Amino acid sequence: MAEIKGFLETSFVDWPGKICSVLFLPHCNFRCPYCHNHPLVFSPEQYSSISLKDILNRIQPFKDWIDGVCLTGGEPTLHRDLPFLIEEIRRNGFMVKLDTNGSNPEMLEKLIEARLVDFVSMDVKAPLDPFSYRRSAGLPIDLNSILRSIDILKRGMVEYEFRMTVVPALHRKEDISTLANQLRSGRRLVLQNFNPENPLDPSFKEIPPYDPKVLKEMEREVQGMI
Amino acid sequence: MSALIEMKVEEARPTGVRQGLTEEIETTDMALFVRTSDEAMNDWDRQRIVDALIRETYVDLDTAKEIAREVEDLIATSKIRMITAPLIRELVDTKLVERGLEQARKMHTRLGMPLYDVDQLILHPNKENANVPHGPEATNLTLAERIKKEYALLSVFSQEIADAHMRGDLHLHDLGFVDRPYCSGQSLEYIKRFGLSLPNSIAMAKPAKHPEVLLAHMVKFAAALQSHFAGAIGWDSVNLFFAPYLVGMSDRELEQLAQMMIFEFSQQAVARGGQAIFTDLNLYWEVPKHFEDVPAIGPKGEFTGKTYSEYMEESQRFAWALFNVYLEGDGSGRPFFFPKPLVHITEKFFQTPGHADFLDHICEVASEKGNTYFVFDRGETAKISECCRLSFKLEQTDLEDARQPWKMRYCALQNVTLNLPRIAYLSKGDDTQLFSKITEFVEMAVRAHLEKKLFIEKLLSLGEKGPLALLAMDRDGSPYLRMHRATFLIGMVGLNELVQIHTGQEMHQSRQAFKFGLKVIAHMKLLTEKFGQRYGMRFVLEQTPAESTAYRFAKLDLRYHSPKSGHIVKGDISRGEVYYTNSTYLNNSAVLNPIERVRQEGLFHPLIEGGALTHIWLGEARPSKSSLANFVIKTFRQSQNDQIAFSPEFTTCNLCNRTSRGLRTSCAYCGSKDVDGITRITGYFTKISSWNKGKIGELRNRYRNDAFLEQREEGIVLKAG
Repeated sequence: MAEIKGFLETSFVDWPGKICSVLFLPHCNFRCPYCHNHPLVFSPEQYSSISLKDILNRIQPFKDWIDGVCLTGGEPTLHRDLPFLIEEIRRNGFMVKLDTNGSNPEMLEKLIEARLVDFVSMDVKAPLDPFSYRRSAGLPIDLNSILRSIDILKRGMVEYEFRMTVVPALHRKEDISTLANQLRSGRRLVLQNFNPENPLDPSFKEIPPYDPKVLKEMEREVQGMI
Repeated sequence: MSALIEMKVEEARPTGVRQGLTEEIETTDMALFVRTSDEAMNDWDRQRIVDALIRETYVDLDTAKEIAREVEDLIATSKIRMITAPLIRELVDTKLVERGLEQARKMHTRLGMPLYDVDQLILHPNKENANVPHGPEATNLTLAERIKKEYALLSVFSQEIADAHMRGDLHLHDLGFVDRPYCSGQSLEYIKRFGLSLPNSIAMAKPAKHPEVLLAHMVKFAAALQSHFAGAIGWDSVNLFFAPYLVGMSDRELEQLAQMMIFEFSQQAVARGGQAIFTDLNLYWEVPKHFEDVPAIGPKGEFTGKTYSEYMEESQRFAWALFNVYLEGDGSGRPFFFPKPLVHITEKFFQTPGHADFLDHICEVASEKGNTYFVFDRGETAKISECCRLSFKLEQTDLEDARQPWKMRYCALQNVTLNLPRIAYLSKGDDTQLFSKITEFVEMAVRAHLEKKLFIEKLLSLGEKGPLALLAMDRDGSPYLRMHRATFLIGMVGLNELVQIHTGQEMHQSRQAFKFGLKVIAHMKLLTEKFGQRYGMRFVLEQTPAESTAYRFAKLDLRYHSPKSGHIVKGDISRGEVYYTNSTYLNNSAVLNPIERVRQEGLFHPLIEGGALTHIWLGEARPSKSSLANFVIKTFRQSQNDQIAFSPEFTTCNLCNRTSRGLRTSCAYCGSKDVDGITRITGYFTKISSWNKGKIGELRNRYRNDAFLEQREEGIVLKAG
């Protein structure tokens, strides 16, 4: 079974409206220079694995409070046995949210069709063209997979949101509107501020993030676009 | 001691005129000038010593004369030509000591401060209370407090109680304000109905006609009250009581008024001692049950002919506007430190239309700025919150008062906090000892309350001509301060450490340890009830905010109960940043998720009538507002917790004036190192640079419900002084 490298018992941050536990799965196929979970990507072995059983035992007494479990990483869809992990969580009566970069549309489709996930949060990195995407993801990316994942979500079989981490050095204001235009997902596109603490590319440490007010304004703008 | 022995030899004027010599003629002819405390320079006059001794102590005339002569001889042989009155007094005191006249010496004591201390005080900031800024007004406050504190310990309290305070068995709060009650809850209805006529002020204002004027009255009255109470001033149902003045106002106008209210209170740092007025605004989304059918008072203090239930819309719009202002923050985006908004969550809240949106709104403020306090009034109880976390359950008599809401004025006369770990050190693991010591300590607190009550009653008995004229003023058939409704608070610090010393485990470490903690508090509650019956007074347990007491007790126990205490106190001994865990809290650093903390700490809350609160430290995380709302609802439905607040941390830059999330060593926007951390200290937000060492120690240890990966310690800004 996919190894679990991190466990946060309760989060008010990761699932809008829900109280959830967060499980961190290792490895990733992207190399976003602003990633702040990169030790999970490069050296997951430095963290001891936590057994799912222990986790479920731990959160069982809080079942009246914890609505669900959020799977994040790393990139969870890299793990082929992800469905089994999710099934086990669901058997214990918790809903499941998946964070993904959208690079594995087959897995995404499978999970949605089997009704294994209740909410999907897909990270979108940049306007949907190979050049921009490569710059933000740190590697050449097969854009078709990304586009397919977006389509799958937009069918509306599951609740979802597109989440973009806005980094001043990578994203100009126009880039955000371009992406918003391409996604046409209204309020389901949420912007998230870049956190300069401990990024994968150390030079990003020096980049001041957008003023939260400015970001909020941008978000309001792009959410208003249909 | 430098102030007392300071004297200057000044040019001696020719000896000559000597005033007021009574029968005492043959005084030594000394070319000596005395600097008196009323800024006069008098010739030496031995008779003055005699007069003072006769006036202030019980010594007989012969002894007094003898002492005066001895002191005169002493001074004469020393050949000084200029002497200060304080020094003479101390010389007289040594003569009293020599004669074994201990009581007389006490009565003859001079209160004051050494020159060195005053110098330090004027130059350096005060760390005992982070709500006292540094400035001439603040120094005045501290100087006055020092003398009143000495006065209190010598003259208001018995020696036994004063000693217990000095030893740190218990802590008498706000001794520097001994001549005032502790904290209070106010009703806007009083100033709406009677206008503003303060005993010492020349101008009398009739009841307000306009909302802005009502606000001005409220702020001025709060300032007047601040100089008559030591602590917080709470206002009940602020949005509802304003509502009759708000009819027909546009959203813009309402927001303007809300902004005025918050800025007026947050910028009152020009009041007493340069201190902001510790203000609580109690807010309701619904019209509280006990006010539904109450006739509303409107402009000019007249009844509008409607009841309060007819003003729900205005009341709700105003509450909404207030939170818009909180969300915005101050001019540089920082959270407002004061006034604190307390939103009451009740059964009726959930039946009131629009509650879900309002809950989201106040949760957004909680997430972004942290201001919101969620007060849970379950079942049929109604509560009014007053102080940091002091709230009172409204009882039957209060509910009758609610028909005439201007009568709803409450106060706590004093707060006495017990050093619980001390009890455990003293009982050496013996259960019987422990519980009898607890009884002994509570009894001491009760005695302290009796003594303070007697003193305040004495001041109040002087009526509108006395020092507490404002509290004695009578506009509605009873004095403003309703003594018979006063509450007497008994607080506690370090239950966690008591349990740890006694059972070997901290409360979060085992069920047994936790249960033992509950047993201790239940025992204390029983005691307060017993003493309440005996004296016909209302004693209640309170979670003392203990901003400096938790530090003071820890320091004193390190002195008196070493080496044991060295293993018990929390914080970092090498840095001197030590503290005990506040009140009934679980260890701040214990890795407990917020659910556990809210549930576990909440189990104490029904026992603590004076109000209780659980903090959820958010650190840097910016939670989803609807997730917080979800948590608030579950806390109401699934726990016994009385009150929660979410506390984010901020870094504000003194260079670019912007505020970012989390505690950082440099500004996230401009990189400047000139930054201040901001978060909640106990019951309010403030700059970390003003905290005392104990609280700094606690801040380092606070467990934040943050991501698991990051080592956050090095990122924390601690500008300890």
